[in-house]
Amino acid sequence: MKRLVAIVEDEPAIRDNYAAAFAREGYAVRAFANRSEAMAAFAARLPDMAVIDISLQDEPEGGFELCRQLRALSAELPIIFLTARDSELDAVSGLRLGADDFLTKDLSLPHLTARVNALFRRVEALRRPNTPADVLRRGPLTLDTERMQALWDGQVVLLSLTEFWIVHALARHPGHVRNRQQLMDAASVVLDDNTITSHVKRIRRKFQALAPSFDALQTVYGMGYRWVE
Amino acid sequence: MSLRLKLLLLGLATLVLPWAGCRYAREMESALRDGERDSLQGVAQTIAASLQGRTDLMYRQSLPRAPAENAEGGGPEPPAAPAAQRPTDPDDFRRGPYDLEPLTLAAAPPLDGYIDDWPHEAAAWQSFAHDDAHQFSILTGVHERMLYVLLDVHDQHPVFDAGGNNTLDPQTFGDRVWLAFEDPQGEQQRVLLAASAPGPFVARRIVTGEYRRQSVVFEPRIRGAWRPGGAGYRLEVRVPLSMLGNAFGVLVDDRDVRGGPAVSYGTLRSDDLHTMGRLILASPELGGYLAQFLQPGLRLAVATPQGRVLAHAEALAGPASLDSGPPLLARLYRRFVDTPGERQVVQARAPIYDRDREVVVGTLEATQTADRWIRLRDRALTRMLNLTVFTSLVVVTAMFAFAAWLALRLSRLRRASESALTRSGLVTSFPETRARDELGDVARSFGTLLSRLDEYTQYLRTLAAKLAHEIRTPLTIVRSSLDNLESEQVPASARAYLERARQGSERLGTILLAMGAATRVEESIANAERVRFDLVPVLSSAVAAYRTAFPQRSFQFECGAGSMPLTGAPDLIVQLLDKLIDNAVDFSPPGASITVRLREEGTAAVIEVDNPGPALPLHLQGRVFESLWQSRPGSGADVHLGLGLYIVRLIAEFHGGDASAGNLADGTGVRMVVRLRRQAIDGP
Repeated sequence: MKRLVAIVEDEPAIRDNYAAAFAREGYAVRAFANRSEAMAAFAARLPDMAVIDISLQDEPEGGFELCRQLRALSAELPIIFLTARDSELDAVSGLRLGADDFLTKDLSLPHLTARVNALFRRVEALRRPNTPADVLRRGPLTLDTERMQALWDGQVVLLSLTEFWIVHALARHPGHVRNRQQLMDAASVVLDDNTITSHVKRIRRKFQALAPSFDALQTVYGMGYRWVE
Repeated sequence: MSLRLKLLLLGLATLVLPWAGCRYAREMESALRDGERDSLQGVAQTIAASLQGRTDLMYRQSLPRAPAENAEGGGPEPPAAPAAQRPTDPDDFRRGPYDLEPLTLAAAPPLDGYIDDWPHEAAAWQSFAHDDAHQFSILTGVHERMLYVLLDVHDQHPVFDAGGNNTLDPQTFGDRVWLAFEDPQGEQQRVLLAASAPGPFVARRIVTGEYRRQSVVFEPRIRGAWRPGGAGYRLEVRVPLSMLGNAFGVLVDDRDVRGGPAVSYGTLRSDDLHTMGRLILASPELGGYLAQFLQPGLRLAVATPQGRVLAHAEALAGPASLDSGPPLLARLYRRFVDTPGERQVVQARAPIYDRDREVVVGTLEATQTADRWIRLRDRALTRMLNLTVFTSLVVVTAMFAFAAWLALRLSRLRRASESALTRSGLVTSFPETRARDELGDVARSFGTLLSRLDEYTQYLRTLAAKLAHEIRTPLTIVRSSLDNLESEQVPASARAYLERARQGSERLGTILLAMGAATRVEESIANAERVRFDLVPVLSSAVAAYRTAFPQRSFQFECGAGSMPLTGAPDLIVQLLDKLIDNAVDFSPPGASITVRLREEGTAAVIEVDNPGPALPLHLQGRVFESLWQSRPGSGADVHLGLGLYIVRLIAEFHGGDASAGNLADGTGVRMVVRLRRQAIDGP
């Protein structure tokens, strides 16, 4: 049975393009133009994944509200925000509402479908516990690339997909400096310097919430970042 | 010409007040003087009237005509009829050819034969001549009951008396001078003046004793001195007035050799030595009589009809004039008011008539010194000038202060408008907007203009972000469509177009990123956390990174201090440096050496980035840090929207500092200077 991807996007051209791309990847696609339509359909049947735009027709923050309602229906449902907005505040709000990733529409379709695929893999991996995983260990850090999950001293650090890939790119070669472009490539995103910086800051904060003395992610001014064991 | 100077000059126009004051003072003075003259005339006429007919009070003796006309017989004069009993003869008061009118001397001249001790009054000299070779001049004067006579005799051959005791021997006769006069009793007296050597002598009198025997006796009351001088010799003689009556005369016996024949000439009849002229003298009471009319500053004089002063009385100007004189200021003012050479006295004359008001027997002259009205005028003048000068000063000062205040306000306005222009917007308060005058109007309209400009600038600044947002959706449509097209069967011939469309959309995407950069920096500034960090390693590591990033340029990092702690956001600082370096690289030729310098300046950390390259025009130096300002030469694929240096400014301001641009001293390049406050400040 094909997985069902729901696209909530008010711009018909984009919506149709995304739908076509997801359909090509073998997903069943349902597209909605606004929140009420989407919620009506979701009440009948939950999709396997939701790709949501933030501003929906006459609701500038409609995507956030939709995300909140979806999370109330299901805690595991993967949600991706896909938006023309790129403000830091929106990203923070979206991720805080429980979205698994926050992507801007600059992202190319192959990258987007790759993200979606990865998310599905992660969901599956999480559903099958105890399977031998592809694991990367760096001191207290354990990166489960299968589940796209990061652990610090055995505790799960809740990272978004972009954040996970940034940490992964850095921790794979500890001590090597990765510049912003390399990090963007690794995360399959197109972001500007400031967004990378704020991603890194968010990552640090998440680790520091578990281990206040965390300083493995260092800034090399003018060049980029590196992971130090 | 500055506003201050103009208003000052305008204020000087009030100096017309003192000028008008001077004019007024002058008019007042002339009015005062007229009044004074009138009243003086009144005084003079009153006194003259009181003297009417009082010739006895005026003259020492009543003045019958001298016996010259009627004394042919040489007999004793009939006693003159008292003036009161006969009609006044106008001739009595007209000077006869032989009448002598003595001067009133201020001091007794020493008996020495010099004329220097006498007043220099050429008109007072009377001359008598026998012929061209024989003549003399006589000057008479009175001082305190003494009559002084000065004789200047022309004599080519002065001859002295032989001297000795035998004065009566004609063989001993030299040049002799006879004085003849009436004594108070009317008797004729004559004395002989002869000198046997230059110097003092005593008059002698020839006395006819018993048997008509003549002898010579000294007359010690009459003394004199002989001195050669002038065209001959001079005699100075003193005679007590008490010896003198009405008539007085002089006769000169001029001999060319001792004992020779004499040429006699003078005011006496040479045969019997009777006087022909009168001695016109004031009555001793006249001075006292005049004195009773005196007022301070008044001088009264009685003169003969011929103008010779008989007597005068003078009063000091009064106690007020005894003080230390007019105050300095008044004296200064007077210099402006008084026309030089103007006489400071008022004079009035009134004729004195005889009893019947027919004959003028004398003149009363009243002279008022100017002191009185000058003082009056000075007091008024000083007061008025003080007032007007004070007023002028106040007005000028007030105008100057007002001008200074205006200029201050104007320059404040100018400064505000200038800085408002250079500092692009952000002007919330403008000076002078609350003033209710025209300057306030100007300031208000300036303020309105600036706030509109500010709105416009704000709009421009957000325009990029808004545009970026609006363009993003259609761009996404294009991109996603292209992505989908990739998956479709596209003929190979169309691949190239597809690729071009993709490249175009990529560039559009880059442009979008650049357009949103400033907004994102503002956002990250708003969210930035300030930490305490050391600026030196941050900068040195960044500079090391630039060496790798821009292999075409060489980078120097100069830092004097070992460490420079700063409170701020290191990420932002590096971003700031990125933009500066981007700029420096873009404006410098390949192979150029770019210098990053960090130094401490007071409480500020200063980052300087020097790059060789074209100089920055002066008018751009304040503007390069403005939003959307672009002076880059044609750019290639790189997108530059003129936001880089604006971001530098934003970050510098976040750190409580500023950014400025200038040229290197030697003109070989450009220096960007960023100043950061090292202590934390509150709020972004």
